[in-house]
This record gives sequence, C-alpha cells and structure tokens, in this order.
Amino acid sequence: MMNREIKNIAVLEPSQIVFEGLSNVLSKSGQQFHLLRTDDLNEIQNLAALGKLELAIINPSQIQNKNKEFLSAKKNHPGIVWIALIYNFFDQQLLSLFDKVINITDSGESIAEQIKNLSNSEIHNNDVEHEQLSEREIDVLKLIVKGFSNKEVADNLNISIHTVISHRKNISQKTGIKSQSGLTIYAISNKIILIEDFAK
Amino acid sequence: MYQTKGNFIRPEMKISSLIFENPSLLLLMEHLEMDFIVHEKTVKQLCATNNISEELFLIFANLYNGFQPTEHQNLTREDLTTIIKFLKNSHNYYENEKYPEIRSYFEQLHEQNNSAEIQLIEKFFDEYFKEVKEHLHYENRVAFPYFYRLLKNEPSGNTEKQEKYSVSEYQEHHTDIEFKLNDLKELLLKHVPVKNDRVLRRKIITSLCELENDLNIHSTIEETILIPLVSKIEHDE
Repeated sequence: MMNREIKNIAVLEPSQIVFEGLSNVLSKSGQQFHLLRTDDLNEIQNLAALGKLELAIINPSQIQNKNKEFLSAKKNHPGIVWIALIYNFFDQQLLSLFDKVINITDSGESIAEQIKNLSNSEIHNNDVEHEQLSEREIDVLKLIVKGFSNKEVADNLNISIHTVISHRKNISQKTGIKSQSGLTIYAISNKIILIEDFAK
Repeated sequence: MYQTKGNFIRPEMKISSLIFENPSLLLLMEHLEMDFIVHEKTVKQLCATNNISEELFLIFANLYNGFQPTEHQNLTREDLTTIIKFLKNSHNYYENEKYPEIRSYFEQLHEQNNSAEIQLIEKFFDEYFKEVKEHLHYENRVAFPYFYRLLKNEPSGNTEKQEKYSVSEYQEHHTDIEFKLNDLKELLLKHVPVKNDRVLRRKIITSLCELENDLNIHSTIEETILIPLVSKIEHDE
C-alpha cells in the first residue's frame, strides 16, 4: 500500500531554512519520506527505540564533543544509517564517525538520490520492473486458475510444494496481482488461458 | 479528488483554505458530522464549535493530508466516542455511497464492453464487495459494541452470546480487502483490453483510488489510533 512505503528520517539540524530546504528537495524525489525534526541526539534515540527510523541526518556541529554519546547511539541502533549534512568545515575525525557525508552545496537531485539510495533496499524490490512470466511460471499459473491447490500443482508438475510456493510468489510479484480470481482475469486477458477452458 | 501531499495542518490555519487545498477534508468533516459552512474559522475555532478535541481533529486531518500519526498521542475516553462515530459514518459512506457508485459504473461498462473479462471482473468486484460488507458488519456487530461497553465501564462481555472481539481477526480482514482492491486497479489499468470504455474506465479507476485512499486512512485510524487507545483504556481499569 502506498502509505506504508513512507520512510522515516530523523533530522538534527538547528537551521529551519536548511531543514525546510532538505524537506522540499526530498519531497520531489519520488520516494515518500517523513522528516522528523529533532533537538538533540536523545530525541533521535527515542524515535529509534520505537523502531521505525531508517535514517538520521545530522549537522555534525550538534555532536561535537559528544563523540561518545554518538558512538553509543550508533551501537544501540545498528539498523539506522547515520548521515552528516555539512555546510562548513569539520574535522575529518568527526566526519569519519558517520556512515555517509552529504555536502549541502550538492545539487538537490543529487542529495535526494544519495539519500534514496541509502534508505532501505526494500524499496528497490517493490520497484522491480514487471517482467514476463517464465514458462514454468505460466505452467503453474494455468493450474492455479483451475483451482488446483499447491499440493496438486506440485504433483502435476512433478516439483516440490516449496517450489510451487516460490513460483506463486514470483507470479504475484511480476503481475502485481495476488488473489486467485485476479490471476484468472489476468490469465484470460493475456491469452494464457482461453475463456472456454475456464468455463469448463 | 483527494490530495496525498497537503500542508501539515496546525490549529491556527483557516479551515476553508485547507479544504480548497484538499477537498477530501470535507469527507472527514462529514464523517465527524461537522457543519460545512465554515466562515473564516480556524481549525481551532472549528473544533471548539463542534466540540471535538483539537488534538484528535489534527491527527485525522493530517492523515488526510498524507502525514502519518506519531506514536505519542494524548487521547482520552471522549475521543474514543468521536473515533467510533467517525468509523461508523465512514462505513455508511462505503456501503451506501462509494460501492453503489462503482457498481453502477460496472453496470454501464457492461453495456459497452461485454467481453468475458469484463464479466469476470464485475463478478470479482461483487465478491470483493461482499467481503467488505462482511467486514464492516463484523465491526458494527462485534467491535463497536465492545468499545461502547468499555466506555460505559461495563465488564468486558465474556457472556457466551457476545462474540469476542479480536485484534488479529480485524487485521486479517484488512489485509485481504487491500489485496483485492489493488488487484482490481492493476487489472483495469494494465491488462483487461479496452473497448470503447475509456470514460467509464477512468471513472472506475478514479473511484477505486478514492476508495482505497479512504480505506487506507480508515485502517490506519483503527490500527494506530483506535487499538492503542482501547488497550490503554482497558489497562487503566
């Protein structure tokens, strides 16, 4: 569902203008991001504890002299990608604590692209081009629309149930259709089965 | 038509401008039984006139504008009454307005394109609608009365007559309903061949998207606002 694809990003950035600008650039990226503006590292940790945070974008000046605290936050929440957003000079040692450094003078597209690539790979799976079904998948589909159970499909094609389930998963991923009645209409529309066969 | 990327709504904003930006806020107000003549009222004033908590209204309205609710909500028992009112009214909207609308498009479509696929897709829609109705009735019959009893501090109905309300059953229904609606959209847009039916098909797909958007909001409200609030009230007792 479209709403469930939103990625949460915590932002620790004292300048409102920079925050709004970042938010604007990301809103044009095609991926939906939900930006949560935070006041300190603690707040980010609290959000992370709720388990829905994927990225944290931080102005490194906000963690200066707080290296220890930052390192422990990173250790406590290994699933989060930590990004430094910089617009002035910072000590290399400080920047090396981050997973990635993004420079504010980069173009908007490039910033959005970098952030998009860093957020969870799950997005890419959903974006997979819908490819053609393989011959084997078509065999399985033909039997599914006839109302065969996984076990019957397996026996019929002489393959394991496990393989049938994996074919079914691929079919739904490629076609974007999950229900059996939906798949039937798909198969007829694409001339995989004839309506006369189905009526039988 | 709805918008999924509106402004983040704050109490001092004028409700009329917000509605022009995203007209589906009218649907929200209808579900909450609020007056449509809003004059120059701000969100804060609108909530005060209609006796609805500002916090709850902001959560709902922002959801319609595409912002997911945060986990920190300070909702109360009174809000639960409002939430149930909203859900009941939206059930009514699905059952007596949105589905009949789409159904009538299918009937017209049928006249213009009588291919086997269209007949099957009509059947698919009917089956889907039947399932949705069952779910709505389940909520009306089991879930809502349970919440009302909770509000009135009545014991949590363990008498045998009352079917026990279950969160997992609730969520299972939701998933299934979402899948089938998605299948319908996919088929109409990508697979079923067009035959002189462009206008109707556009109407159906648009209506399905509107319905999907409202159903998404509906389940988000149930899953992230209602259920946590109910557990909180249960826990407090």
